[in-house]
Amino acid sequence: MLTKSSWKRAAFAALVAGVMGLSACSGSGGATGNGSESPAGGESSAATEGKTEGPVLAVFAGSQTPIVANFNPYSPTLLPGTLGSIYEPLFFYNKADVGDPIPLLGTEYEWSEDGTSLKIGIREGAKWNDGTDLTVDDVIYSFTNDAVSMDYLAEAVKADDTTVELKFKEPSFTNEYAILGSTYIVPKHVFEKEADLVTFTNADAPVGTGPFKLSNVTDASYNVVKNENYWDPERPKINEVQYLGIDGNSSAESLFKAGQLDYSTMFVPDPTTLTADGRLGYLRLSSPNPLTILTCSNAELGCEGAQTDKAVRQAFSKVLNRDEINEKAYYGHASLAAPTFTLPERDDKWIKDGLPKLVDGGADVEGAKKILEDAGYTLGSDGIYAKDGQRASFTVNSVEGWSDANAAAELMVSQAKAAGIEVKAETVTLDQYTEDRQVGDYEMIISALFGTPISDPYTIYRNSFTTDYTTPVGTPLEARQTNFARYSNPVVDEAVQTAAQTNDEAVKKEAYGKIMEAIVEDVPYIPMFHGGSQTFYNQVDFDGWPTEDDKYAFPASWDALQAAYVMSQLTYK
Amino acid sequence: MKYYLRRIIFYLITLWAAISLNFMLPRLMPGDARSIFIDKLMRRGGEITPAMENSIDLVFGTEDSSLWEQYIRYWGNLLRGDLGISITKFPAPVTELIAAALPWTLILVGTATVISFILGVALGAIAGWKRGTAADAIIPGMTLLQSVPYFWLALIFVAYFAVQFRLFPIIGGYSLRDFPAGPEWSWAFAQSAMYHAVLPAVTIIIASVGGWVLGMRNMMVSTLSEDYVVTAEAKGLTRGRIFTWYAARNAALPSMAAFGITLGFVVAGSIVMEQVFTYPGIGKLMINAVQDKDYALMQGVFLVITVTVLAANFIMDLIYGLIDPRARNNV
Repeated sequence: MLTKSSWKRAAFAALVAGVMGLSACSGSGGATGNGSESPAGGESSAATEGKTEGPVLAVFAGSQTPIVANFNPYSPTLLPGTLGSIYEPLFFYNKADVGDPIPLLGTEYEWSEDGTSLKIGIREGAKWNDGTDLTVDDVIYSFTNDAVSMDYLAEAVKADDTTVELKFKEPSFTNEYAILGSTYIVPKHVFEKEADLVTFTNADAPVGTGPFKLSNVTDASYNVVKNENYWDPERPKINEVQYLGIDGNSSAESLFKAGQLDYSTMFVPDPTTLTADGRLGYLRLSSPNPLTILTCSNAELGCEGAQTDKAVRQAFSKVLNRDEINEKAYYGHASLAAPTFTLPERDDKWIKDGLPKLVDGGADVEGAKKILEDAGYTLGSDGIYAKDGQRASFTVNSVEGWSDANAAAELMVSQAKAAGIEVKAETVTLDQYTEDRQVGDYEMIISALFGTPISDPYTIYRNSFTTDYTTPVGTPLEARQTNFARYSNPVVDEAVQTAAQTNDEAVKKEAYGKIMEAIVEDVPYIPMFHGGSQTFYNQVDFDGWPTEDDKYAFPASWDALQAAYVMSQLTYK
Repeated sequence: MKYYLRRIIFYLITLWAAISLNFMLPRLMPGDARSIFIDKLMRRGGEITPAMENSIDLVFGTEDSSLWEQYIRYWGNLLRGDLGISITKFPAPVTELIAAALPWTLILVGTATVISFILGVALGAIAGWKRGTAADAIIPGMTLLQSVPYFWLALIFVAYFAVQFRLFPIIGGYSLRDFPAGPEWSWAFAQSAMYHAVLPAVTIIIASVGGWVLGMRNMMVSTLSEDYVVTAEAKGLTRGRIFTWYAARNAALPSMAAFGITLGFVVAGSIVMEQVFTYPGIGKLMINAVQDKDYALMQGVFLVITVTVLAANFIMDLIYGLIDPRARNNV
């Protein structure tokens, strides 16, 4: 926290800085190099098992300066490292791969037949970092306090000393990840003293069970150190992690080049500029959030424009040369999305037989023309198809300054023209874009959707494709609603209902199959790509990073729990 | 006396108008903090945890009260010195954020501005004095530096002096590895802070000195053709005396006025410099607040800037009234 005394210190520091500025012309002030460099790992002989001393791991997880200490797991502006490093959920779900959840504070779980009750075994012997034991009461408190307030939870009861039973108002299989994988367990004896769980900062020695604990915070960085009382004696093996606040990717790149940064996930057009000297390893994984073109698709809810006709959307999606857009606008770092809005490879098992697993990379001009002609469009003298006076013409917006999206929109203009579709590429400010999208005042926008963190497309189908999660044009969407397309289809609504009631994979798959058929046909969103998340890591001093062959976690440095899990697995080399 | 009274009333009205605009303008912009926050998460591939779903509305939710009620409350809080809570840096009070950033900005940007002004006016005076000679050749060089975009210059400096030759640090106001606990009162910390200030200060000076040189040099040339300079030469005064007391002193007047305004803007920080060097300061508070629709922080930063610029202008007005009798009579 910034206290009065820290203000004075900052004042002094800046005063000194100014004096130095004055003498800048007369040569450098002679301080000794910036931040002693990490000791070269190569010198200290070969990697010996169980090395216990090593450099501080410097991480950039997206924090910008000034850093404001906030380690409250219930605050939207919490600092990276709060979740995962300090607080833990019951189970760890690997976002990068399929597989069973890994027990953390929970040891096992069992659903009742109808999905209205879930029994969870709680780990014995886990301790809070203030020395007290983790109890079942802490877990119950973590599910029932004011800040969490799960509306589908009826009650949480203690079954015995190591078992909690959660009872739900309705079948809640689909909330399994939310309950077990992303509800963080907090200490009742600390949190119940707080008047407001959302606004308190928890900045003074936060009490958690995680592999690390906070050691100090400034407005430019903060450090966490190994939690000696962690319940897993095998983890963590590194002693200290420093989270840096950095204001730009170019600075982060410079720090990587100078050997002062060890781990970050960020966009670098040409990764070889960083990996050339062999210090840094590199892993690219697809982000689960699909990049799409949102379309205001539903005339019944007030959308206007040519894109409200399904045929126009289908034809437009067909005529796009996504490979060219990827190459020219996204530096070739994107990968093709699935028309079913599942994450390719990870979620392929859900895709209904006969449906494509990926969108086409190349353009199908003739196919697009045929769709329009079959729908009754005729080619006008201006080279654009039209039907009943409505020309196949619409505006594609992209946010000013998002150069990848701007370039993509420009490419779409000429690609669509080949099939007699007129695209007008326009840029809007970020503010305009968020506003337009919320109230539905647009024709098409290049944007993204929230994908699902785990291999089950339920939440994206519910939040972005059902009638309950949208509003008529003119009424802003609410926080959880992301059906920007105003898409409404009774078949999809019903199938989502069905999927929510069951834990039976076959039944779910059948329900999802209906949704997939509907959305592949209706294209309320034009599927495009999954962005690449590029992770760079110091492979000279640290060992144990996820690799292409062993994706034991999604290693994005900004992804709280996944990154913390990776860091708890690292060893000194 | 009437002159000063009119000036004071004029500035009070301007201050009221500026503070009211400061309240209105951000609210006229489209977009809201909540959707921008959610969109940022979505773009980079993040997720919203169940606990966050509930708190996002509490923290980023829009106010229901009418604009007029907000305006009255805004003035009430302002007069009590309460600038509100930042939502993007939640829950830090805006006053604390500004108080922590201001000293860095004032001292680094302020000092660099003063150095740049003194250096620029001196070089300009010399160039104007020796017009047509080799000394005048610095003008094209200065124009070149002036026209180089600042961020590019700064990035080049970082690439060479910080990354390639490792002479200077890459980011920060002090070494984060040596002082993980933050600023402290010690000689070692002072050294670290000074060392980190060199590159930002040098780039600011290089990028801004050209303007002063050009302005001063041209004023100097026209001043040298004034009758009183010819008279001074005819009287047989020494060249040094003519240079300092007759030519340079008069030629510097317009630069002085511009300098006053520039000093006022020092509190706005240097947005690009702070971005490139991740240097603490006001500029980044401002740009982040605008991007993320953080009304409280935006208002707080704009208020500080408005008040300082007005104050700097006011002081310059008073000084002008003193040194130039024409200013007093013309109003």
